[in-house]
Amino acid sequence: MPIRDLDLKTLSLQDALDLATLIEEEARDRYEELAEQMAVHHTPGAEQFFRKMIGVEQHHHEELARRRRLLFGGAPVRVSRTMIFDVEAPDYDQVRQGMSVREAFDAALHAETKAYNFFVQALPQIADPDVRELFEELRDEEVEHQRWVQDEIDRLPPSTAPEGDVSDEPVGH
Amino acid sequence: MAVEQAYAPKDFKSDLKPIWCPGCGDYGVVQAIYRALSAIGRPPHEIAFVSGIGCSSRIPGYTTAYGFNSVHGRALPIAQGLKLANPDLLVLVAGGDGDGFSIGGGHLPHAIRRNLDLTYIVMDNQVYGLTKGQLSPTSVRGRKTATSAYGSLEQPINPLLQVLSYGAGFVAQGTPADMVGLTALIEEAIRYPGFAFVNVQSPCVTYGEEHQQMRAQKAVMKSLASVGHDPADYLKALEWATHYTHDLHTGVFYRNPDPPPTYEQLVRERQAELGRNALPRERILELFVQRTEGGVLADS
Ligand SMILES: Cc1ncc(C[n+]2csc(CCOP(=O)(O)OP(=O)(O)O)c2C)c(N)n1
Ligand code: SF4
Repeated sequence: MPIRDLDLKTLSLQDALDLATLIEEEARDRYEELAEQMAVHHTPGAEQFFRKMIGVEQHHHEELARRRRLLFGGAPVRVSRTMIFDVEAPDYDQVRQGMSVREAFDAALHAETKAYNFFVQALPQIADPDVRELFEELRDEEVEHQRWVQDEIDRLPPSTAPEGDVSDEPVGH
Repeated sequence: MAVEQAYAPKDFKSDLKPIWCPGCGDYGVVQAIYRALSAIGRPPHEIAFVSGIGCSSRIPGYTTAYGFNSVHGRALPIAQGLKLANPDLLVLVAGGDGDGFSIGGGHLPHAIRRNLDLTYIVMDNQVYGLTKGQLSPTSVRGRKTATSAYGSLEQPINPLLQVLSYGAGFVAQGTPADMVGLTALIEEAIRYPGFAFVNVQSPCVTYGEEHQQMRAQKAVMKSLASVGHDPADYLKALEWATHYTHDLHTGVFYRNPDPPPTYEQLVRERQAELGRNALPRERILELFVQRTEGGVLADS
């Protein structure tokens, strides 16, 4: 499980909402990083796609944060980013210089699948019925996200050719 | 459930954008360092991060701690000086296998035998990344690169065995393919009171080989905890360390259950001891003036 110092068995609804918000925040920050990497390494198609994903994850983040505020106001947050590890954030090794837009979509699809697997694995450990309901909802949303990414992939032109500068040299050294 | 940390991982992330190749293992390592530092809870201005030269040695610049991207192979002596000058600083040292075991290899045994409270993180990618893929001291025999087209004739060094035999009190190995484990190791290394060494199998996507990449690592890595290794058992640690280059074992190889005093502690004690019998500052000046009257030392 990509978590640490976190007991899912005793997770409260407030902590679960905060956790879900952090998961979206982590994914947003990772897309930001990946977009920067693509910008530095002259891979504009993938960069644009990752920038779009920043907006998508930010939207999910805001939705969850709003729900949390409605239910728990400004109650202090008890979970932190040190407890989660790339739950929905694409793995660093999913990207490379000159990657095609299709490969960028694949990285996002892989990330959404990881998030889905996280909720599936977490669910049997959850005791609180409200947390269970939330996690089931989030799991199902991940299926929706996967479907959305897959639809976008299907709409892409068939070419898988890499783009941009594909020289094998690191830049800026 | 833990409470919110005083410093979040993002508080340790600088505004400088990493320029490592997309996919480089070092991206994961710096993330693990942010998280470990957040768990430690000390503010960035109480941390100093020293490195040598190499792709991996860029890491201090990507943190908000004080940083010194110094000279190739000289991270350890600089870090030792820094720690001695200000023992209250949390001092991290980082670099590549070339930086640490090749040009800087001579400093390693001395840093270890002195036992300053430093955490040394080596991003061991078995190649010189920055200079575009030459053999490094941990490249395996037969390894082909642009400058060794027929394959290396040399046997690689075993950094785990080296540091264990020099007497390091904390020796671990991790990989960004296991971020949870790597973060825990770095945190534990920082908490260890003495010289701590973390070898990170951090793949070079540009000059590394397929079997060294994270996907391949995920399939073969095995934690020492899962094989029942007791990190207090020094002889067993040596035995597990011999697996380096054949198997990817992660976790703590050795943690000295009875850490000896650090060099900086001993220096402080020595200073206090000598200070007790030392003459007051004004008296020293007086004596000096007396003895040098007429331009000649009176007693000599
Ligand atoms: C005194 C000196 N000798 C050689 C070099 C050239 N040089 C720079 S980095 C490097 C090796 C880089 O490999 P490593 O330390 O393993 O780090 P990586 O780039 O793989 O992270 C070399 C030989 C130098 N900068 N200074
Ligand atoms: S050359 Fe290798 S070590 Fe250097 S940034 Fe690129 S992938 Fe990383």
